[in-house]
Amino acid sequence: MGRVIVVTSGKGGVGKTTSTANLGTALALLGKTVVIVDADVGLRNLDIVMGLESRIVYTSMDVIDKHCELSKALVRDRRVDGLTLLAASQKNNKDDIQPAQMKAICDKLRSTHDFVLVDSPAGIERGFSNASAGADEAIVVTTPDVSAIRDADRIIGLIQHARIEPINLVINRFSPELVGNGSMMDQADVMDILNIDLLGIVPEDTGVITSTNRGIPLVYEETSAAAHAYMRIARRLTGQQIPIPDLEQKGLFTSILNWFTRKS
Amino acid sequence: MNISIRQLFGRKPKSSSIAKQRLKLVITQDRLDVDDRMMMRLQHELTEVLAKYFEFSMNSVQVSLKHEGNSCTLVADFPYKKAHDLSVNR
Repeated sequence: MGRVIVVTSGKGGVGKTTSTANLGTALALLGKTVVIVDADVGLRNLDIVMGLESRIVYTSMDVIDKHCELSKALVRDRRVDGLTLLAASQKNNKDDIQPAQMKAICDKLRSTHDFVLVDSPAGIERGFSNASAGADEAIVVTTPDVSAIRDADRIIGLIQHARIEPINLVINRFSPELVGNGSMMDQADVMDILNIDLLGIVPEDTGVITSTNRGIPLVYEETSAAAHAYMRIARRLTGQQIPIPDLEQKGLFTSILNWFTRKS
Repeated sequence: MNISIRQLFGRKPKSSSIAKQRLKLVITQDRLDVDDRMMMRLQHELTEVLAKYFEFSMNSVQVSLKHEGNSCTLVADFPYKKAHDLSVNR
């Protein structure tokens, strides 16, 4: 039986879809069978981030409406073995799917895959309850800023209420430089506030923009800092013990320089 | 250490620690679904009840929420001067 993990954030724009695409790809690169489910009905994006937008024929809505078999709606990623995508319908809206229907899809998918990653829409309404309906674990993505963390705390409360656990945190767009000079909260600050387990930290990386432009998730070319971070997170998800490196930049020179040039 | 030396030289606190402080407060309120008005009302009513038993200076009364890890504590500070003599009424 595979694991169903909902990837969520509360606030939009913190890198939820990027994280889902990269973690799904990374897990497949590690030899796992993975299906990534886009639960953002009406505002789908996973397909274009993954570079699979031209190959979508059926969506989860077609499966629910019995227009096609579930297996037929899965789009295979040809770049790696064992990775498929179930796209969201772009023509419908979030109320067109019931949590029970979503759960049925997830339950079916878990019988044939090691991992089912569900990309949740932002927000705390219907979209989230649909996305989390079939999940037994959650990954909360946040950036280290006040609004994202506040919303993350709100969504963590809802996940706990739905009795989904474990809940793991991914801190995205972490800037070692800004943390080093005191302009960004560090991981200890964020953990102190949110109080859930830390799964990993993804550093800010301009490579994310170019990889999204191309539709090639970063982890395919494991050269950038963010790609390394996503690979480490994927390994942790498979149960490997990989320590979380300290990304903070606090050299003596930077400290002295910051002391003179810092603008808080 | 770093912070105290900076403060000696009159530097502003880091914006990251301001962010953390503000977040802790607002999240404590979010979690409990408590707003300022409710806190004021609570303080008012607590004062009414306690005033029957104790004499205290109103300015020093403070009711607040303290956030530690996953739990929140309601902290009520009522520095009292003396207890009323209730034997008179009995």
